[in-house]
Amino acid sequence: MSAPQIVFDDVSKFYGDVLGVNRVTLNIPPGITSLVGPNGSGKTTLMNLIAGLIRPDRGTVRVRGISPEDPEHLMRVLGYATQYDAAPRGMTGLDFVAMALMLHGMSESDANKHAWQALDRVNLTDAAKRKVGAYSKGMRQRVRLAQALAHEPDVLVLDEPLNGLDPLVRAETIASFREYADQGRHVLLSSHVLQEVDVFSDQVILIANGAIMAEGEIRSVRDEIKEHPSQYLLRCRDTARVAALLFGEVDVNEVKVLEDGSGLLVMTRNRDGLASALAGIALSGIEIDGVIPADENVDALYEYLIGGGR
Amino acid sequence: MAVYKRGYQRYEGGRTSHWNRILVMPRFSWQRLMGMKVTIVVLAVSMVWPLMCAAFIYVANHAELWQGLGGGGLSNFLSIDGRFFEVFMNAQAVFATILAAIAGPGLIAPDLANNALPLYFSRPLTRSDYILSRLIVLLGMLSLVTLAPALLLFVMQVGLAGWDWLAGHWIYAWGVFGGFALWIALVSVVAMACSAYVKWRVIAGALVLGFFTVLSGAASMINAVFRVDWGRAINPAMAMNQIWRTMMAMEPLDGPTAVECAVVMCSMGVVLLLALSRKLRPVEVVK
Repeated sequence: MSAPQIVFDDVSKFYGDVLGVNRVTLNIPPGITSLVGPNGSGKTTLMNLIAGLIRPDRGTVRVRGISPEDPEHLMRVLGYATQYDAAPRGMTGLDFVAMALMLHGMSESDANKHAWQALDRVNLTDAAKRKVGAYSKGMRQRVRLAQALAHEPDVLVLDEPLNGLDPLVRAETIASFREYADQGRHVLLSSHVLQEVDVFSDQVILIANGAIMAEGEIRSVRDEIKEHPSQYLLRCRDTARVAALLFGEVDVNEVKVLEDGSGLLVMTRNRDGLASALAGIALSGIEIDGVIPADENVDALYEYLIGGGR
Repeated sequence: MAVYKRGYQRYEGGRTSHWNRILVMPRFSWQRLMGMKVTIVVLAVSMVWPLMCAAFIYVANHAELWQGLGGGGLSNFLSIDGRFFEVFMNAQAVFATILAAIAGPGLIAPDLANNALPLYFSRPLTRSDYILSRLIVLLGMLSLVTLAPALLLFVMQVGLAGWDWLAGHWIYAWGVFGGFALWIALVSVVAMACSAYVKWRVIAGALVLGFFTVLSGAASMINAVFRVDWGRAINPAMAMNQIWRTMMAMEPLDGPTAVECAVVMCSMGVVLLLALSRKLRPVEVVK
């Protein structure tokens, strides 16, 4: 049986004359999916379409087989946290999360129980009975996260969930996303911190001007970008000799010696060709300490596909 | 394709009814409002007049207390009739408006200022449910200074004067409860619309009071400039007074009839609800 997916089928959304997203077709599998794109590119529109907050002008959206037109069912499987500090300042964190659960239809006792569990998950139990107005930015971010995941949804949609978190909490939050995703759930989030997206995402969706530029696992997306040669960082001691040998290879497009002399940046359009060339060099007795891809990351994909949009 | 083991348990417990969910927000709002000193003060002050009315009912129903004091004139004055209820309603309507100006702005304005609407609408809650739940907050609060004391006064009068009095004067019950219901509905919609369009609470509160005073002034100006009397129809206080009098089978005032006033008030309410609904969008569109 195939895993339940979030499916966009030829979806367009316009706000009057303003383009939201245009003819988007996507199949998002479970796992952590990051939406990456410049401001106003359509990330939040995609999230709002999934949450049923807006309806597409064209096409259909289905979230694990449920139409967003059916909020009674959708909201039971979906948790959403916006990018805004939306929690009422005069309410305690506990009341805020419990209220959200009661709006889902939980009884007061169930809501309180689940609210405590959710607050515990985001390490906010100590401040649970304090008013949201007295929370720091990071705490408000966490309470927002708690209300989204308190009812144990299958699909977690989070708009900029890492903004304002300190490094420790950030790491804990990312770990909790990973735990969530490993249980077969969808975690769909948007982030501007591309280096982080690289580390925790199972797949990325690059979006610009309302159109999907690329989607899938980072490596497979990178493989599709033929116009930019792949870059590899080669760590070796005898950089000049290795460079000279590599220049002789047909599959190597460019070789640069790193400024600190610790290695080379090699560009190729044929990964396999480069691999056999390097194997040959290594077998000839020249020591190569390591080879790492230099542009198989979201940062590079962003640069190649979206360019100076940032 | 990754194969995932489903290692979690989604909430599969019982669900409360739709109406229960709608009442969740009012519950937390009432809690917050009752924690505000100004609400308590206004509520306390607004009970003074009903207490005086209760004393009046007591005295009016105990003829032995004032017999021989003023003859027929006093007897006419101390009667529980439409005029008595009209005066009671006029005073309590003012308190209801003040309370709406205090409680109303805190209902929608913060949600709009904080972009909290997506938070509510990503629950099984529609825009109408949201408006209704906010309306219930105000209707509940305003009922405390209108319908609740009216009910107590009515029960007291029936208790003292007997069921015969009720049989002959049931029309007052209709007038008082129906009339108050119309007034608090109108005031609530005005307060919510002001709250939706003005983010600052104090200004939104002032706007609620301003709505009634400006329309009252505009009505007087229309009457004076055009030498007409239909301007009263756009003065909510006057128009509602005319409706109340008709509901209690009292002599109507000069000017537009109760039906005409009701049509104007209903139109006003519908326009305000439409304006409110237009403002409550689940997402913000950046242009």
